[in-house]
Amino acid sequence: MKSMLKFVFVLVVLLLASSIVFAGDGPTTESYSIWIGGHYTEFSDYAKKVGEYNKGDNETLPEFALNYLSTGSNSIFRFTSHYYDNKNAFAKLQSTISDKMKLSVQYRSLLKQEGQDLLTNIEAREYLPATDALSGKMLTHDIQDPNADYNTHRQEILTKFSLLLSEKNNVRLNATHRMILKNGHEQKIASTHCFSCHLTSMSAEVNNTQHNLEVGVDADVANFNIGYQFGYRLYDPQNSKSITYYDDARHPTNGGSGGEFGPRVIYEDTEAEFSVVPKTEKMSHKVKFKRNVGQGYLAGVIGYASAENKFTSLKTNSYSSIFNYATFLDMKTKLITKVALSKFDSDSIYIDLPTFREGLADSNYVDFDFTRYSALNRTNVNLSAELIKRMNAKTTLSGLIGYDIVNRDNYPTVDDGLSTKKLYLQGKLKYRQGLSMRSSLKVRFEKISDPFVSGRGFFEEAGHGDARLEPLVPTSNWVFYFQRESLRYQDITTLPTQVLSFDWNMSYNPSMKLSATFGLKGKLDKNDDLDSLDVEHSSFIPSITVMYNPTERFSMHTGYSYNYDKSRLPITVAVFDG
Amino acid sequence: MKNKVCSGLLLMIVFVILLTSQSILAGVSDEVCSSCHDEVTSDFGATAHGIYFSSKSHLSDATCETCHGSGIDHIEDGNPEMIINPANSGQFGAKELCLTCHKSHKFNNWNFSAHGNADLTCADCHTVHAKVEKHVVKRSSDNCLKCHTDVRASLSMPSHHPIGEGKLECVDCHGAHGEPARLTMDNSGAELCYSCHAEKEGPFVYEHAPVMEDCMICHSPHGTIADNLLKQSEPSLCLSCHPMHFHATVVSVDGDFATPQAPERAGTSDYDSMERGFTTKCTQCHTEIHGSDLPSQATSTGGQALTR
Repeated sequence: MKSMLKFVFVLVVLLLASSIVFAGDGPTTESYSIWIGGHYTEFSDYAKKVGEYNKGDNETLPEFALNYLSTGSNSIFRFTSHYYDNKNAFAKLQSTISDKMKLSVQYRSLLKQEGQDLLTNIEAREYLPATDALSGKMLTHDIQDPNADYNTHRQEILTKFSLLLSEKNNVRLNATHRMILKNGHEQKIASTHCFSCHLTSMSAEVNNTQHNLEVGVDADVANFNIGYQFGYRLYDPQNSKSITYYDDARHPTNGGSGGEFGPRVIYEDTEAEFSVVPKTEKMSHKVKFKRNVGQGYLAGVIGYASAENKFTSLKTNSYSSIFNYATFLDMKTKLITKVALSKFDSDSIYIDLPTFREGLADSNYVDFDFTRYSALNRTNVNLSAELIKRMNAKTTLSGLIGYDIVNRDNYPTVDDGLSTKKLYLQGKLKYRQGLSMRSSLKVRFEKISDPFVSGRGFFEEAGHGDARLEPLVPTSNWVFYFQRESLRYQDITTLPTQVLSFDWNMSYNPSMKLSATFGLKGKLDKNDDLDSLDVEHSSFIPSITVMYNPTERFSMHTGYSYNYDKSRLPITVAVFDG
Repeated sequence: MKNKVCSGLLLMIVFVILLTSQSILAGVSDEVCSSCHDEVTSDFGATAHGIYFSSKSHLSDATCETCHGSGIDHIEDGNPEMIINPANSGQFGAKELCLTCHKSHKFNNWNFSAHGNADLTCADCHTVHAKVEKHVVKRSSDNCLKCHTDVRASLSMPSHHPIGEGKLECVDCHGAHGEPARLTMDNSGAELCYSCHAEKEGPFVYEHAPVMEDCMICHSPHGTIADNLLKQSEPSLCLSCHPMHFHATVVSVDGDFATPQAPERAGTSDYDSMERGFTTKCTQCHTEIHGSDLPSQATSTGGQALTR
């Protein structure tokens, strides 16, 4: 009820403020509507994750909506709102004064219900068929708060402001600020897995704020329409820390051999924070332009952005430029070309780790220190050209060709980096019969070379006795888990190398008040470039939509879509030979 | 004398041309339009256009023909094709008529956009002649889903962004008027996702390469059957790129958790171990799947297991 009162208070303040602002304008029309109702929700099913946005309290709650509109001689003021419950509400205020000033403030909130993973599968003990005994490794779990109701309340305040600074060059100031607040509790799981695999589930506070600010100026200068935009984003988590105990390193089955297992872990026998989301900050600068060139238009954006992790001081810089040009070759032919170039450069970092088995007798120790080069670092190039030709009054034909290149600087598992190239072709036929019928068919084909892969992803061979694996402990034939990485040889991906898609639709309008649209979309893709595996996806989506608008104030819209998806993907074979 | 005659003739010709052209320019009056389109003209003053025109002295004389051009041919045979109609996609270029006035940066990329080149007109989404008390934009998400029926189907999946519930709208993510890049002003598709999910952006010390590549390798943003907008359920999704490691496939049964013993361990994968593996969610342990600054516990993985 307290939140509801706050909501009503804000509405009243906004209305009073608007009446002051528009007092001089003398409203010429005013209209408003109030809707009062209520709802009751029963939600007893434990599987709360299903219907995650439909969660309601198990009680009867009032519900109302308020809408107000006033129009002056050169102004429009509109207020819309809907209060559903304390966690789900919407309000929007819009005011426009001629074309000089526009202001809108929107508030909306929603509740996202989360489920709780009770970790029941994490309760097992290794079974040894040879001795018909329970023994060996254990999986255990601990739920600290099994009855917790996990959910997140998301609130957003979006403010948009536009002001005409000068009519002479149409100089306009634009500003947008979006604040997102998330509060609530979520399930956090800590895992410690040296002595025994043990998961601890606990309730963790969600409390973070995100600010997105964009401020820019647009102007018409000579034949150019130019603009500059500054962007700032801040993600600021303020939640309390989640801390767990990480066990001491011991043999997973006999609980001993601490000396052997201690040097295998980075930290042990300590309480430490986990699941830490860092504060991040991002700034961007963009210059936009558009100008008429001959019979066409040239538009583009040149941008630079920098994101920083305030916890580690790691930075990512990105540079992008996009140039689009459209022109009429003749009265019936339009050509559209697009060129985009972008580069991402994220800091690398040296990871200093304890030396594996250092100090142990009878050992070849291993130094796992490494430099993490970011998988983000890359250069993207996108080129495309589309020709649209109006064949006659009823038919339009278009063809598109494009080429994309992703050239990655560093790639974690492919030694020479990875460059992906995509060629795509698209044809489209549109047919119309006045205002009564129109139909279109689009067919697109893509050919991709070297899509993103998990390099040497799997197909691990048996390790024991493999001549390629030199035992780290000379007096034994131990083969360590990490040594087996070198036995993997199969690159694997779910991404296709060939894609064929089509999209057909037909809209029939027997009258200006009635229309029916039929559609069929389909997509077939595959990747048969992998050594011994094929990847295939297929989807078909038939649909029908009917619109009926008997009067200006009554509109009915109904539709049905059926989605069929089928995927054939690789799944790794489980191997226990460690 | 000859010059005077020539000048006189020229003046007469100019006079006749002016008379003729004036009649063409005059076209038809709004009253004539009202005789058939009263539902449009009667409330025009209450539309956004009507209010704007009245606030601008140079637009106070605007008539129907200001936007629709001469109505003479249309009057003569009543053919709706014989007048400029920005709502008629069959009139090549007519839909750009709106852009002669609406030329802010917002529309810079309309000519390059998918909507712009799909025969859509402004009137497909905007009710241009509606009174301002009605929303000028048709209720946005319903409007989009009318054509994007595949998205409509996806939004009905168990996991989805709450578009259908009216808590988000399509335009929160998509630029309907065209953007330089496909979805957002930035060239990286992930930038769009980070604009709400900034906690996923990093940069992190320990990365998960597909997160750097494209969010949509794992997620389908409009809706999925699997939880968290994942394209496949766990562990199948993860196992499409990663091998299942032995911890998850230990031959096991529920039971005794007494003090560990130390028999010879020689377990091998079999049906039971596969069953065990496939009822495990990888993210139960690998919780920080989008990246982390904190190392996981084992040295041999380089701390890169994203468990902390």
